Amino acid sequence: MPEYKAPLRDIKFVMDEVLDMPGHYASLSAYADVATPDMIDAIIGEGAKFCENVIAPLNRTGDIEGCTRHEDGSVTTPTGFKEAYKQFVEGGWPSMAHDEEVGGQGLPESLGTVMSEMVGTANWSWGMYPGLSHGAMNTISSWGTQEQKDTYLTKLVSGEWTGTMCLTEPHCGSDLGILKTKAEPNADGSYAISGTKIFISAGEHDMADNIVHIVLARLPGAPEGTKGISLFIVPKFNVAEDGSVADRNAVVCGSIEHKMGIHGNSTCVMNFDGAKGFLIGPENKGLNCMFTFMNTARIGTALQGVTSCEGSFQGALAYAKDRLAMRSLTGPKAPEKPADPIIVHPDVRKMLLTQKAFAEAGRALVYMTALQNDIVHKGDSEEDRKAADELLGLLTPIAKAFLTEAGVEATNLGVQVFGGHGFIAEWGMEQLVRDAKISTIYEGTTGIQALDLLGRKVLMTQGQSLKNFTKMIHKFCQAEEGNEELAPFVSQLVELNKEWGDLTMKVGMSAMKNRDEVGSASVDYLMYSGYVTLAYLWAKMAKAAQDALAAGTTEEDFYKAKLTTARFYFTRILPRTKSHAATMLAGADTLMDLDEEHFAF
Amino acid sequence: MPEYKAPLRDMRFLLNDVFDAPKLWAEMPRLAEAVDPETADAILEEAGKIAGNVLAPLNREADEQGSKWSDGEVTSPDGFKEAYQTYADGGWGGLGGNPEFGGMGMPKMLVGQVEEMVQGSNMSFGLAPMLTAGAALALNAHGSQELKDKYLPNMYSGQWAGAMDLTEPHAGTDLGIIRTKAEPQADGSYAVSGTKIFITWGEHDMAENIIHLVLAKLPDAPAGPKGISLFLVPKFLVNEDGSLGERNQFSCGSIEHKMGIKASATCVMNYDGAKGWLVGEVNKGLNAMFTMMNYERVAVGIQGIGAAENSYQNAVLYANDRIQSRAPTGPVAKDKAADPIIVHPDVRRMLLTMRALTEGGRAFSTYASKWLDIAKFSDNEDDVKHAEAMVALLTPVVKSFLTDTALESAVAGQQIFGGHGFIREWGQEQHVRDIRITQIYEGTNGIQSLDLIGRKIAANGGAFFKIYVEEINQFIAAQEGKDNMVEFITPLKAAVANLVDLTEWVMEKAQSNPNEIGASSVEYLQVFGYTSMAYMFALSAIPALEKADAEPFYANKLATARFFTKRLLPRYISLSEAVKGGADCLYELEAEQF
Ligand SMILES: Cc1cc2nc3c(=O)[nH]c(=O)nc-3n(C[C@H](O)[C@H](O)[C@H](O)COP(=O)(O)OP(=O)(O)OC[C@H]3O[C@@H](n4cnc5c(N)ncnc54)[C@H](O)[C@@H]3O)c2cc1C
Ligand SMILES: Cc1cc2nc3c(=O)[nH]c(=O)nc-3n(C[C@H](O)[C@H](O)[C@H](O)COP(=O)(O)OP(=O)(O)OC[C@H]3O[C@@H](n4cnc5c(N)ncnc54)[C@H](O)[C@@H]3O)c2cc1C
Repeated sequence: MPEYKAPLRDIKFVMDEVLDMPGHYASLSAYADVATPDMIDAIIGEGAKFCENVIAPLNRTGDIEGCTRHEDGSVTTPTGFKEAYKQFVEGGWPSMAHDEEVGGQGLPESLGTVMSEMVGTANWSWGMYPGLSHGAMNTISSWGTQEQKDTYLTKLVSGEWTGTMCLTEPHCGSDLGILKTKAEPNADGSYAISGTKIFISAGEHDMADNIVHIVLARLPGAPEGTKGISLFIVPKFNVAEDGSVADRNAVVCGSIEHKMGIHGNSTCVMNFDGAKGFLIGPENKGLNCMFTFMNTARIGTALQGVTSCEGSFQGALAYAKDRLAMRSLTGPKAPEKPADPIIVHPDVRKMLLTQKAFAEAGRALVYMTALQNDIVHKGDSEEDRKAADELLGLLTPIAKAFLTEAGVEATNLGVQVFGGHGFIAEWGMEQLVRDAKISTIYEGTTGIQALDLLGRKVLMTQGQSLKNFTKMIHKFCQAEEGNEELAPFVSQLVELNKEWGDLTMKVGMSAMKNRDEVGSASVDYLMYSGYVTLAYLWAKMAKAAQDALAAGTTEEDFYKAKLTTARFYFTRILPRTKSHAATMLAGADTLMDLDEEHFAF
Repeated sequence: MPEYKAPLRDMRFLLNDVFDAPKLWAEMPRLAEAVDPETADAILEEAGKIAGNVLAPLNREADEQGSKWSDGEVTSPDGFKEAYQTYADGGWGGLGGNPEFGGMGMPKMLVGQVEEMVQGSNMSFGLAPMLTAGAALALNAHGSQELKDKYLPNMYSGQWAGAMDLTEPHAGTDLGIIRTKAEPQADGSYAVSGTKIFITWGEHDMAENIIHLVLAKLPDAPAGPKGISLFLVPKFLVNEDGSLGERNQFSCGSIEHKMGIKASATCVMNYDGAKGWLVGEVNKGLNAMFTMMNYERVAVGIQGIGAAENSYQNAVLYANDRIQSRAPTGPVAKDKAADPIIVHPDVRRMLLTMRALTEGGRAFSTYASKWLDIAKFSDNEDDVKHAEAMVALLTPVVKSFLTDTALESAVAGQQIFGGHGFIREWGQEQHVRDIRITQIYEGTNGIQSLDLIGRKIAANGGAFFKIYVEEINQFIAAQEGKDNMVEFITPLKAAVANLVDLTEWVMEKAQSNPNEIGASSVEYLQVFGYTSMAYMFALSAIPALEKADAEPFYANKLATARFFTKRLLPRYISLSEAVKGGADCLYELEAEQF
């Protein structure tokens, strides 16, 4: 398994020098006093140690062992997972980014994102256990009654209990409007929940005392479709008056899935058989309630794209310096050895640089998105919150879908750098591919994210949310006019920024004539948007590096490497926009002409 | 349970309508003797049955079981031994073999289609006959009469299997630095010692003997690739009368745990003074390998298509069956709670991408196989030379491009299943894991791309490349002016002009900086691939246009060609621009600065 080393220098670069996160925290009254630079450094440093020493070593073994379900429906997690979780809770990590009223430490959520990056690269499957609690916590803190908060939220925040999100059913995933799980009112004001949920991550495990399921279900007589869905809290163990864990509720794990990857995380079929549940939020507004924090959850999955790139890059880089094969085309570089290390070969470098460029700009994108989320929750003015919410809405599907697709590409490159050894389990590189692949599927597939971006976020706002972002890019470009070193980047960015708007117009026009045009263009549009967004971030990173070099630094190599990677991105990766621009306008008839009976005979 | 139906209709279309194979076969006496259209058809039909009924049903379970190693013995998954017997009894092992030793002497155009079915229905299994055929090919081309008499008949009959032993722990791409030794013995044999790794089906229980072709160095051999010789090393020594004798001095030390093709055993082979016989000339081992390499590389490309076709078939079934959300233009299946996902444009985009890449790939590998056949069977020296040039040029593209596109297809095939695509039971994720190896073995795709631009194009000043471009340009000239071909010919023409331009660019740049070759090679190969596929779809459009009213198959071919032209071909634009980004940006970072 590639050894994990938290990329603290890169993380700090993005936090301090590119996005000015210290300034951001200082500007929010909720965080100004708690999220001080010293505090942040201490937290990240400690977090890095935990990730490197405690959970990274469990990644490979977790993959081999997987989870085991027993006759009685209980699930055992891989060796060491439980103990690591205990340490995590003792370290106070689950409560870090939560409000003090519910037992949290009041630190910013974006700082939690930084920690989640390290956790996720070290061991994604493990990280999903505490990770899934977020959905449950968000639901309860946004929509729960005081009593529900007191009963459940505090325990989730402390990490004593974990949570899940139970949306998917055998016949529906993308289309939750057709879900069937029922909720019948009981005399005592609670509900009896019955139905089958599938693919429930962390639905059953042995790491915490209780599991709080957030379940989507229908009330009797509820309207059909998405407007008849309500949210319920269904604990694994009922909770006694005094808050202690009482008798077992009628919800059991019926089986766990055998999957391509993330073997260390249990993916459960959950059978609800008249389980006691409590309505949370208004009746029939369950999906709307979920939308309020959908973006937060999706940032978490976007992060998986970054962690895939980073983890695979670290492994591939170490190997490329070590493995000897063939001589450099420009003459031997390690004449004392029987062959040169493969990092001398242009193609190997291209693979490494691609991983690096995605990992670093991907990190910047996720952090930038997380900052908007901070403002949405803690912004001091309504105006700030609204602007942040719009930007967040635009960036989230891009970050989620683009970065996870990049993660799949990068992990495959990692395998390729290892040659035949990449295919062998022992080296850990193929596991990264298998683990990464889920990220383009759950939390809304790439296809669904792309529809969200183009349909809901861009076209439904008449392009306004996009304009707000392209204006930001425009401002950056204007400010750098005359900056010679950045000129090659800025000039491309100016052009793309304009083209992005033009393409949006064109797609919008054709969509007015034929609604299929949106779905025909959407994935190409999303990928295009991702490449442009990353270009903006690489230009920003180049600018930060340039400033640091101009100011004088002992870390010249570090900053020069940023400029070099930016050049690589602009010359070798960014041209991909051209094809996407062409194919998104190819027209829906190229997709719809073939009769569905004729796809196969 | 995933299903597999051999795509016989498309195979026949290629052989008969597009490439007119029967005419070609009739023109070459050695082929005219071996094959006619009826025979070919019967062969395809029968192969389809074996693939669909015997091999495909084993695929999923065998992935779960894997091969098992114990004490040097390898047990193949349930059903493999019997399937292997069925395969051998059917005479499939000798399909492309030399008739002098009991082979059937069939053309690669046909053999390739059979390979696709075998690999597509069960890739792990398919590797066993594939490696046996490869070993037999090398032996047939370079072995002494005695070795051939002794080994080939039983390899063709399937009684014995074959394996290829090149890779060592420290050397895969760079075979020049291998360490396995071969010491000459008094009786003319050699004592082979060393460790080979990653040897596919190096040990198993499906055949009574396994014939290894092993690369090793003689004691006084020069360093590097020019000091490597090839040896035949059987698992059981073979007595004068052909019966099996004692066990040879080598064994399987362990098998690997892998991402995919789990049912196939990937073996560490420890040679401990094993008895072997020289195949071909001393120190010419790598050259000997190269002769069979072209066939094997095309076969690996075909493996990719086969598995991608399998993924496609199951994705189509699922997309028609799974209901989720309403069509953007209004409900289609009003009686159901939602519409089948095939109504969604994006699902169609994924399906059509798979379909176009697979059909285009099948056409391209069949086209490359045509040149392999002419090179092997033609009696006309000029034709042979021309064909050899085309084979040399196209082989790395078939291998790399078709395996890269196969991975893309399989990933799309997984995505169409949503969450279920990630679950093993459904079989779609297995195709992704299985196909992934095809980009690595038989020379990584990076190495193939260097072979293309470095050895096959730059090294001969673009001579082979010109032959190919000339052919396409003649085709374009002949089709220009035909109204119904414009939509295919215009984009093809642009793509070819771009490819020519790009080739010149790379060759010129490479003169001042050798790194430009390696910096451009992977994308260059892709541009070459997309352009070639555009040629294939244009070729296919001609018969499809003629018969479009006769059968939906032909109209569908046109729809697929249109999809390819408008939605996949434009990729060459980005790829070409990336190539022209040049090598500099890859070398500004020192190794430590990554
Ligand atoms: C390992 C794992 C963990 C998971 N964890 C959880 C969890 O904790 N909680 C939970 O509730 N769920 C979870 N899921 C479920 C996951 O979120 C769903 O699988 C996902 O939302 C896709 O739904 P589906 O599988 O039903 O696919 P489908 O909705 O059937 O989609 C199939 C295909 O059709 C496409 N498609 C569908 N509708 C449209 C449309 N309108 N337009 C265009 N394309 C469309 C999709 O993009 C996809 O390619 C998990 C799944 C897995 C595999
Ligand atoms: C499942 C499996 C089955 C196999 N079956 C067989 C078999 O039956 N018989 C057999 O002999 N072998 C077999 N192999 C081995 C396989 O052919 C090799 O793994 C492959 O050739 C790559 O060699 P390598 O693993 O040593 O990679 P390396 O040579 O170490 O390559 C590592 C990376 O460096 C790149 N690289 C190396 N040199 C250069 C260069 N000059 N320029 C640019 N890039 C370069 C490669 O492209 C690759 O990305 C098998 C391997 C596997 C995993």
